[in-house]
Amino acid sequence: MDRYTVRRLKDRLFTLLGAACVVIAVIPLGSILLEVIVKGAPALSWAFLTTSSLPSPTSPGGIGPAIQGTLVMVGLTSLFGIPIGVMSGIYLAEYGNNRYADAMRLFSDVLTEFPSIIAGITIYLVFVLVFGYSPLAGALALSFILIPIVSRTTEESIKLVPNSIREGSSALGIRKWRATVSIVLRAARSGLITGSLLAVARVAGETAPLLFTAFGDTYYLHSLNGPAGSLTMYIFTDWKQPYSGYQQAAWGAALVLILIVLAINIAVRLASWERRMGRR
Amino acid sequence: MTTSILDSSAMKTLEVDNGDLRPMQGQSSEKIRTVSLSAWYNGKQALNEVSLGIASNAVTAIIGPSGCGKSTYVRCLNRMHELVPGATTSGQVFLDDENIYAKDVDPVMIRRRVGMVFQKPNPFPTMSIYDNVAAGLKLTGMKRGRNLDEIVRVSLEQAGLWEEVRDDLDKPGTSISGGQQQRLCIARAIALEPEVIMMDEPCSALDPAATAKIEGLMITLKTLYTVVVVTHNMQQASRVADYTAFMYLGKLIEYDETARIFENPQQELTERYITGKFG
Amino acid sequence: MPRLMDMGLDKLNSMLLEMATLSENAVDASIEAYSKGGTGPEVREWSRRLQTLHRQVSDLSMELIARFQPVASDLRFIKACFEISYGFYRFGRYALDIAEVLDIFGDLSKCDQKAVVETARNTQKMIRMSVDSFARRDVALARRIPKLDDVVDDSYRQNLRTVLDQKKDIRCALSAGLILRYLERIADHATYIGESVDYIVTGVEPTH
Repeated sequence: MDRYTVRRLKDRLFTLLGAACVVIAVIPLGSILLEVIVKGAPALSWAFLTTSSLPSPTSPGGIGPAIQGTLVMVGLTSLFGIPIGVMSGIYLAEYGNNRYADAMRLFSDVLTEFPSIIAGITIYLVFVLVFGYSPLAGALALSFILIPIVSRTTEESIKLVPNSIREGSSALGIRKWRATVSIVLRAARSGLITGSLLAVARVAGETAPLLFTAFGDTYYLHSLNGPAGSLTMYIFTDWKQPYSGYQQAAWGAALVLILIVLAINIAVRLASWERRMGRR
Repeated sequence: MTTSILDSSAMKTLEVDNGDLRPMQGQSSEKIRTVSLSAWYNGKQALNEVSLGIASNAVTAIIGPSGCGKSTYVRCLNRMHELVPGATTSGQVFLDDENIYAKDVDPVMIRRRVGMVFQKPNPFPTMSIYDNVAAGLKLTGMKRGRNLDEIVRVSLEQAGLWEEVRDDLDKPGTSISGGQQQRLCIARAIALEPEVIMMDEPCSALDPAATAKIEGLMITLKTLYTVVVVTHNMQQASRVADYTAFMYLGKLIEYDETARIFENPQQELTERYITGKFG
Repeated sequence: MPRLMDMGLDKLNSMLLEMATLSENAVDASIEAYSKGGTGPEVREWSRRLQTLHRQVSDLSMELIARFQPVASDLRFIKACFEISYGFYRFGRYALDIAEVLDIFGDLSKCDQKAVVETARNTQKMIRMSVDSFARRDVALARRIPKLDDVVDDSYRQNLRTVLDQKKDIRCALSAGLILRYLERIADHATYIGESVDYIVTGVEPTH
């Protein structure tokens, strides 16, 4: 066998190996999705999605409060977490050439790797013991995770804006803060949006920090005080009940959660696809 | 005495006075004058006591091999050199007889009077052509009470781009060709009505046709502005400039009318550089 | 550091040196023919060769300018080469003219040749000086040529008068007059060559 054929065979072999690895990697994701869709779809109904009835051994009940809880807490976290994260990212990218900023960056990186349960415990000790369980506490705990991610992705997106833009704006006599806000930020816009959406998708799926702060509930919220439920906690409490009704409810909730996360991820893909197509 | 075929309304002769080259009194005045300007990057010297007078309403080219300090020099003229961390200067720079490095001078105001165009065209990516040209005015608070449409049109006309983009002002600034983008950057600088326009190797990234357009621009612009061009392309300097300064290793070696520099340079180093014996 | 253009400049230089030798020999031969009574047959051939070389110098100069955009001393050299090669070409042409006088007038060895010979000696000296100053780029030498030119001019005027007074032999008088004229023109061109050499080295513009 000559060298050329050997090389071609090796090439083919490695390509096949690579393809096999991809399949192996995708199988778990695929099987999970399949399982959740198959088990969760039967539970879906308008009543399931909107009422607040408890599940019984035979029926899944309603997960309305859980959906509301997830949306409210993720919403609150985003409301104050994204602006804080973005401003932190801007500072680190544009003005962060010093040791103080380096320390901040280190902190931020550590926080993203933090076991999220610790965020929950911290807010429990600092906030819940004083004010009690609430979706606000849940949002605070989630922000421990959201803010560092948003800060990091914002900083990276802004750093990707080429320096020639900044040079061009200072040569025009535009002040730095003005250039940052009006030009650099706009140029980094899609990166910022992508980063924020990904962080939101991440916190939508968190369970542990909410256990100690929102605690979980089966009723619709009347105010921002008092315990609140979420899809994640709902799954956590109901999956181990021995009755099919409870289990169906858990699968249904899992399906809804996955759909929400999927929707956010698709929105991210669309946003970056649009950018690549050259639209502003 | 050779006379330049380009009818420059500026100078006929230069006079050396205390080692400070400047045009003869009574003829065209100087727009910018540097006195013993030196500059460092983190202690490493890039400019060594450069004293030079740049004539108004003329094109002055600065030539020299890589690393000779020509880019650093022009960046000191609009106080952009100090934006680099660790960069320092000493000496004086006079813009119309005021020292731009004086204590109470706002560097941002200097940059509005001394505009700059860079080697790689850098239109703002998220803005339309119109917005790009207006950006300087809008973002420096200078747009009050002015007719933006008019200014954008005039700037694009002066930059020789109006006819090509008049119907596409809303298209993104990056959707036009490289040569057009560079003219857009020139229009953007012109919109601020600066007194000086500096160009740092403006044609390096462009093809010969685009280069020719921009060189033609330099000559028409000099009637309204003072133009300074940094170039490593000696033929470009010999084509467009009224005066040429040759720098080497941070020092000013020779400064004279372009025709004289390229026909009969006085310094040995200049002769060797322009005939290609080194560099 | 050798440059692309150097090859062309060297070629230009060697062509000019060839023209120098040829033209000097042509003039010498024609004067010799006058004194000894010959016709200087080789002068015609050399003059033709000089004409060809002059055209080649012109072509090469244009090519170097078009292709290499020369500046400073290179540019001055090329401009000067063209002017100098014209000078050498003229030397050859006048030598040819002298040979043609000999052709027309026949043997002039019996004439009173003093005027011509004396003027010729100075002219030949000036040719030598111009050739040397070009070969060595010797500006000092080049600047001494005009003084000899004054001598030649004076001697031309004087001798012309004397020659015209020789009413006896019209052949000798006329031929001497013509040859003196050619020698005076050769001397002028030698001066121009010296000025061009000055221009190459110092950049001082020639006056002609």
